Amino acid sequence: MGLLRYTLWRLAQSIPVLIGIITITFFLANQIPGDPVEIMLGPTPAQEQVEAIQARYGLDRPAHERFLTYLSGVASGDLGHSIYYDRPVLEMILLRLPVTLYLTVSAFLFAIVTAIPLGVISAKRRNKPADHVSRIVSLIGVSTPSFWIGLMLIIIFAFYLGWFPARGLPLPWADPADIRGAETQLQVIRTSLHHLAMPMVALGTLQMAQITRIERSSMVESLQGEYVKLARAYGVSESKIVRKHAFQVAQLPVITIIGLGLSTALGGAVLTETVFEIQGMGRLIITAINNQDYELIMGTTFMFGVAFVVGVIVTDVAYAYIDPRVAYGDE
Amino acid sequence: MSEPLLSVENLKTQFFTEDGTVRAVDGISFDVYEGEIVGLVGESGAGKSVATSSLLRLVDSPGEIVGGEITFKGETIFGLEEGADGEPRPRDEMLSEEEMREQIRGREIAIIFQDPMESLNPVFTVGGQLREFIEINRDLSADEAKEEAIEMLREVGIPAPESRYDEYPHQFSGGMRQRVLIAMALACQPDLIIADEPTTALDVTVEGQILEMVTDLQEKYDTSFIWVTHDMSVVAEICDRVNVMYLGEIIEHSEVDDLFYDTKHPYTQALLDSMPRPDETVHELDPIKGVMPEAINPPSGCRFHSRCPDAREVCREVHPEARNLAADGEPKHSAACVKYDAFEVGYDESRPIETEATGGFSAGLTETEAEE
Repeated sequence: MGLLRYTLWRLAQSIPVLIGIITITFFLANQIPGDPVEIMLGPTPAQEQVEAIQARYGLDRPAHERFLTYLSGVASGDLGHSIYYDRPVLEMILLRLPVTLYLTVSAFLFAIVTAIPLGVISAKRRNKPADHVSRIVSLIGVSTPSFWIGLMLIIIFAFYLGWFPARGLPLPWADPADIRGAETQLQVIRTSLHHLAMPMVALGTLQMAQITRIERSSMVESLQGEYVKLARAYGVSESKIVRKHAFQVAQLPVITIIGLGLSTALGGAVLTETVFEIQGMGRLIITAINNQDYELIMGTTFMFGVAFVVGVIVTDVAYAYIDPRVAYGDE
Repeated sequence: MSEPLLSVENLKTQFFTEDGTVRAVDGISFDVYEGEIVGLVGESGAGKSVATSSLLRLVDSPGEIVGGEITFKGETIFGLEEGADGEPRPRDEMLSEEEMREQIRGREIAIIFQDPMESLNPVFTVGGQLREFIEINRDLSADEAKEEAIEMLREVGIPAPESRYDEYPHQFSGGMRQRVLIAMALACQPDLIIADEPTTALDVTVEGQILEMVTDLQEKYDTSFIWVTHDMSVVAEICDRVNVMYLGEIIEHSEVDDLFYDTKHPYTQALLDSMPRPDETVHELDPIKGVMPEAINPPSGCRFHSRCPDAREVCREVHPEARNLAADGEPKHSAACVKYDAFEVGYDESRPIETEATGGFSAGLTETEAEE
């Protein structure tokens, strides 16, 4: 089986997982105490008003009936209607998702770009000063929550030094008319990057620390491999051994951590978005929960589920690409 | 005889561990001449592999070559001299790390490792790995190296080498991978190949095929080999001369026939006795008694005395250096055992001692430990 067929096969396999996610979210969301109608109408609504609203959103029908309606809606791309925003859930998600993806992907790029060299240097200079520094940095990174890092960055670089803005995150492809102080697209991009720096570091530090640790231990192991001994015995230079022979084998566990990290980073994005007042998926899901907006809760949770599944598939495919021993599941 | 290709003089390699210094290789000397296969035999832990990695100066930390001299084709691979402060320091003519990498490793001395399953890199194609080593060590372009690699794969008996060139190591069987490793060594056209137990991980039929192939190719390319093994039958089949190692020392050295028909050292004898032979039917094999002591704390005197059936008091006290026991004009046959008159330490008058080999608990071994 080729890589493309393997990818398609893995995508097909994810459909039952997604149906499972929808089912669990639906019934859990329905178990949340409280009533969205009550929140919408205030504490003492008229009976007619309640009934009208319930009928409008289908809340008067039994749960299994609503579930089937919802499921067929999702299948045709309709994630329902947000009571709070009074707009389709899908529209809200499409509005917010790019912001979160922009933040998460940037945080990951930051993490990978810093962590891989750090881990490799650490492994190569094992138990030397460079290794100790890198290990202490990654230990601190792993054990510090992202929102705390966010708060510290705001206090130091926004409040005291005033180098970076503390609030919001405009997208680089936003219309210049919507961004204050920007006239050209280039200025929008600059403003966007300026806003991105701190939340990116806040969200990416944990990933950076985790990847550094795995990269280090994986490289240490790989550098002791028999194939490294062989390469040395045939006169391959030490730098080429590190860059090529040991490196590629060592990336397998790193890819796993990056793939799993994608989903935890989305969770971390919820907190980071709150700290930096970024209008992304994290803020959306919190608004949805606070307002008992069932369909928005389900829709956003579903999107996080999709993101998780995509993360796993990307990991598997990357793994199969790098390691020829992964037999694409057709043994 | 002409100058040896490789000459090893009193080589010592030690590992500095928290528990103490492990004298893995403790003063071994041997020569390899052009076109011959020299055996290096011994049990696991005798220091064979450390000795061979020392030849390429590839001993991993915490190991270090601490003394002796290695000369290859007139170049000093390792050699010390006394510095101004009285401390030993590398001699000026000793090859630098870079010279070792560029001039010796692969190009002049190639190695075949013992574990074909782990030695190839799992994420690169077999052909790519072979091509890379050829490119580095033969100054060929990538295309020429690829052609050479395919030719070499054919030479070592890989069927359909053009298509197998692009396959990955996991698609090869153990025997095929070992053939690839042999192809790597031969393809670099070195003068000396160190074969570090290359057939140990393979089953006997494959081992037979590989030994046959190596002897054919050895004749064709006239390469010298150091063949490391613990298997006396392999020694008998391919070696010209043999060195027997025990606990970091070479305790017997001779031409291969003499080793089998005129065995001198009790350890060599014990090794031979522990091996099934087609010409002698025995009810039970006679394994070597006891286990090899740790190199970190070797027995006093002769290191084999704790397991030796011929051990006497004197063996515990005198540490024998190997001496030539062959008659004048005969090929050199040296052994390190004081029971031969050449040693003149009074073996005959000495009282026999109880050892693991003579039955009963080894009083000698416990006393030895108390002395240190």
